Amino acid sequence: MHIPDGYLGPATCAVMFAVMIPVWYFAFKRAGEKLGPKEVPMLAVLSAVSFLVMMFNWPVPDGTTAHMVGGTLIAIILGPWAAVIAVTVALVIQAFFFGDGGITALGANCFNMAFVLPFAGYYIYRALEGRMGKIASSAIAAYIAINIAAIFAAIEFGVQPYIAPGYCPYGLNLSIPAMSLAHLATAGPVAAVVTAAVVGYLEKSRPDLLELKKIAPGVTE
Amino acid sequence: MESWLKKTLTVIAIFVAIVPLGILGTWNCGDAWGEWGEVQDTAHGINWAPQAYFGAPLPDYNVEGWDSMLMASVGYWISAIIGIALTMLVILGIVKALEIAREGK
Repeated sequence: MHIPDGYLGPATCAVMFAVMIPVWYFAFKRAGEKLGPKEVPMLAVLSAVSFLVMMFNWPVPDGTTAHMVGGTLIAIILGPWAAVIAVTVALVIQAFFFGDGGITALGANCFNMAFVLPFAGYYIYRALEGRMGKIASSAIAAYIAINIAAIFAAIEFGVQPYIAPGYCPYGLNLSIPAMSLAHLATAGPVAAVVTAAVVGYLEKSRPDLLELKKIAPGVTE
Repeated sequence: MESWLKKTLTVIAIFVAIVPLGILGTWNCGDAWGEWGEVQDTAHGINWAPQAYFGAPLPDYNVEGWDSMLMASVGYWISAIIGIALTMLVILGIVKALEIAREGK
């Protein structure tokens, strides 16, 4: 899901940065107000976990590859604004040091993986948690969230032939099925199992770590 | 150090040890969809390559020229260690900057 340079036209890149600037602003503002001594090391290791899980690629049947992101897990533990920061930092380092994801596409990649994904995961988890418990709701949240993020990436790719010829050569008719296959069939299930395993382990062994301060909209303490 | 932090760092170290699986498992596969260096697709009549604007120091999580499975694995290890160290340092730097900003108010 790391869109490289040269795939998105200038207008798409600009719009995605324009959307992300206020998101980053609020994420940093809320983190500055609410990160306590216990949350800081957790944020650092979860950002590293996100970087690391994105290095575990596996083959997809159509000849491409996929990986999970970890955004839902981070959003469940520390809240979605914290996940914005953790995943953004991982994506920035991937783009600048390892050429994974373009610099001009950084706004789009952060929008998909560091904003849409953790917010979707967080709210799905919160909606389901009371009814079906933490493990099942974290699995479903992680599964749906990575697929929503993948569809956003597919739309960004797929609109280029219509608005910016010379950039991504494939339209929506190819980008959406390809991205959905990879994430419905492989990345979604992996994200669901890994997220639920960690949440289940924490619930059993360290429930206090699921009760850390959440950096989330509407959470005042 | 708190026990959970020690445990988490141990788990991270184990996954770093096996991180070459992330490249060896996809050795003969293509790239992720939409992450190709060039597209030669005769079925759709597309012959295209994206413009690259920047060079990265360790492109594709490897040292340039380390092309064998063994050397690419070593490059992947090095990349994982550098990436994780940088990630944590940047987060701690951001937290420090936020603290300074808060105290300045």
